[in-house]
Amino acid sequence: MSSVLNINNLTLSFKTLMQRVDVLHGIDLRIEAGEKVALVGESGSGKSVTARIILGLLQETRSAVVHGSVLFDGKDINTLTRKERAALRGTAMSMIFQDPSSSLNPVFTIGHQFTEVLKRREAKISQADCKKRCLKALIEVAIPEPARVLSSYPFQLSGGMNQRVMIAMALANQPSLLLADEPGTALDVSVQAQTLKLMHKMVTNHNTAVLFISHNLGVVREFADRVYVIYRGNIVEDGPTAALFANPTHPYTRALMAAVPRITGTGLPQVPEFSDEFLAPRVSHGVNP
Amino acid sequence: MASVIGLLFRRLLISFIVLIGVSMLIFAIARVIPGDPARIALGPNAKAEQIEQLRAEMHLDESLPVQYAQFLSDLSRGDLGTSLYTNRPVTTDIVQFLPATLELVFLAGLIMVLVGLPLGILAARYQGRWPDHLVRILALLTVSAPGFVWAVILMLLFAFYLPLFPIAGRIADIHEVQRITGFLIIDTLLAGNVAAFGSAIHHIILPAVALSLSGIGQAARLTRANMVETYKKPYIEMAHAYGFFPNRIARSYAFKPSLIPSLTIIGLDFAAMLGNAFLVEAVFAWPGLSRYGVAVILRKDLNAIMGTVLIIALTFLIVNIIVDLLIAFLNPRIRYSTREAS
Amino acid sequence: MIRALRILASNPLSLFGLLLVVLIVLVAILAPWIAPFPTHNGAVVDFAFANKAPGARNWMGTDLVGRDIFSRILYAYQISLTLGIVVLAIATPIGTVVGLIAGYSGGWLGTVLMRIVDVFLSIPPLVLAIAMMGVLEPTLTNAMLAVTVMWWPWYARLVYSVARSEREEGYVLAAEVIGANTAHITFREILPNCLPAIITKMTLDMGFVIIIASSLSFLGLGVQPPTPDLGSMVAEGARYLPDSWWLTVFPGLAILVAVFGFNLLGDGLRDVFGVDE
Repeated sequence: MSSVLNINNLTLSFKTLMQRVDVLHGIDLRIEAGEKVALVGESGSGKSVTARIILGLLQETRSAVVHGSVLFDGKDINTLTRKERAALRGTAMSMIFQDPSSSLNPVFTIGHQFTEVLKRREAKISQADCKKRCLKALIEVAIPEPARVLSSYPFQLSGGMNQRVMIAMALANQPSLLLADEPGTALDVSVQAQTLKLMHKMVTNHNTAVLFISHNLGVVREFADRVYVIYRGNIVEDGPTAALFANPTHPYTRALMAAVPRITGTGLPQVPEFSDEFLAPRVSHGVNP
Repeated sequence: MASVIGLLFRRLLISFIVLIGVSMLIFAIARVIPGDPARIALGPNAKAEQIEQLRAEMHLDESLPVQYAQFLSDLSRGDLGTSLYTNRPVTTDIVQFLPATLELVFLAGLIMVLVGLPLGILAARYQGRWPDHLVRILALLTVSAPGFVWAVILMLLFAFYLPLFPIAGRIADIHEVQRITGFLIIDTLLAGNVAAFGSAIHHIILPAVALSLSGIGQAARLTRANMVETYKKPYIEMAHAYGFFPNRIARSYAFKPSLIPSLTIIGLDFAAMLGNAFLVEAVFAWPGLSRYGVAVILRKDLNAIMGTVLIIALTFLIVNIIVDLLIAFLNPRIRYSTREAS
Repeated sequence: MIRALRILASNPLSLFGLLLVVLIVLVAILAPWIAPFPTHNGAVVDFAFANKAPGARNWMGTDLVGRDIFSRILYAYQISLTLGIVVLAIATPIGTVVGLIAGYSGGWLGTVLMRIVDVFLSIPPLVLAIAMMGVLEPTLTNAMLAVTVMWWPWYARLVYSVARSEREEGYVLAAEVIGANTAHITFREILPNCLPAIITKMTLDMGFVIIIASSLSFLGLGVQPPTPDLGSMVAEGARYLPDSWWLTVFPGLAILVAVFGFNLLGDGLRDVFGVDE
């Protein structure tokens, strides 16, 4: 089985006039077709920049220095041209962001934005076809009155509704990889749980591989097949969700789990205080459960 | 749509109140500050009975509130009094001179928008790189000199050294154009006189560019500033994540949300042009309201001064109402505010 | 403060603006000592050297009665800067107080004050000053008065909007809860937070006032000859284009350089303070 995503020894640093800040220190990460993988860490651990490297966005800023290989469907994102990378985005891979309401453009209707996304794959798609596919996609994410939603602006819809629209958009072009960066953390907890369940169902139906980025181990446990724990730009522990949660071995993972609030998903968990133990070598539980 | 009409009525009402205020302010400037307007108007050598006669004509013997009431009632009949300079009703003078100024200001406003906004988009698209620096410095330069300096420099370069454009006037003397709207560009077209139309365009380009320059700078700076803010928004990152081309993101995804806050200020810049027209018209001997305004000011022609300022304020208010409606039309939040409430 | 200066100096353009402003202020103050022809600021004639093109004796040429244009520009900077400082020194406090009162008290008083401000703002800036000069005698004092009358509403509106948003901030509410009186809250709590915006606007406005004042004198409504003024110098020279180009071009560029300096500095300050446009 060939991997959708295979990251080897990925390093990232930002250079400014005076100094150089190392952010990622050699990350290895692998996602198979249709697999749901979570990348867990506190903010500043390097999980969000990893997603932006996979999308090829960070490679285009001049201050970022990226080394290592990021094989997506066998092609190394790092060595592709700017155009080739742009061609993959929105078609072969797509992304869902934290706050659905501010991630949709406020001055265009949902229908307009959805059409633009569909045109990424099929530039000459007909008006009627477009409308049909938009409606179908919205029905699939259980949106009532899909026609009304299409002619609405994001501010006219609730956050949960916008999140469903984002999920539908992200999957509309049948990408092989979906990046989800803390999806729905801006929503309230019950809506967040609901849309996560929906997303889980959707990606399972479409057989889409997911890289799920989160700081919340509780959410990850319900969503992912496999988990990577990232700390200060290093993967410290990885393995199948069940195995990792049954036997968390790395000191940082144990600290992170201890910090998970009792009631799953309420707000930000406490970030563990730094300890020298967290710099211990990586622990791997293997790939198969 | 209902909310837009509601907005229109609200704006009209406010504008009306403001206009009353403007008439008071102008009245105050004209009557309270200078002492005896009749003596000022007639000059130091006037005889006492001449002054008395003019005082009676201008109702100066009455108390100030009565004078103001008289001024308002004349105003409501479209009577701005008689100009001491032209010996004609001020209204007639304004009708004659206003179109030339409006023609100039509208064209300058058009140039401002057509050049200033794209420059701002370009700067924001290449933020921190050389096109951005270039646009920023050029824009700052254009706003750093008054209209008459640009008018003189443009005239020197493109009318004298490189004689591409005429030095002064609205149209070559050989053309006889019947006055219909007073806008020469329109009147020549209505008359079907292509040569005269060409001449009118030829004459207006240099003054309009001179008038628009600082507006271009303002519009570019403002558009850039607002777009730089927009670029920080999550929906722009999302557009990048969906692989849209950067030029397209700049032109559509980032520009349109930024345009709404920019428009109000662009309306104000347009207003500034009504003032700057005074300077440019003086350089290019443009026979507009501003030149009339300066002439009547130098002769202390109070009725004409008040009429001119009032009509400029009115034009400004109308432009701002149009800008507000445009914003309401462009901004879905206002257009659909009723639905949002439900 | 030192940190702010360091941020300012780290941007080459802002630094350049600061240097320009310092240079112009210096040459204006030192005009009597550094001007090649210090007597040429008044009604002097020297027909032997009338209307000469720029050369070794007169770097920027001479005007129609033989006065050194460079010397006159230095003196004209004195007038422009004085006018700018006086106008802002009067207009800023008036506008600030009106804006603070309207912004903090709100209610009918705030509405009335801001409607009055709206009235002033609904006449294009230059037109209001022109109209006032139309009924006043064209003197430097009256020009200052006219520009001041036109200027204060802009400060009132700026301070009003900052004060409105500050009013909702936690520290103001906290001060209200502990029972501080209105004047205390307005001047001790809200005003300091309006200052960065005011200072930035004042710097940018120095350039603007120079533009407006020179526009008035260009139209013959400001400072009268023989006092040197950049606007009236351009106006006099414009009649002798293109042959005696130096009569207009150098005074025109002098306006551009001074205003450009203040604008660069103002832009830099805005970045330092993080003030919105």
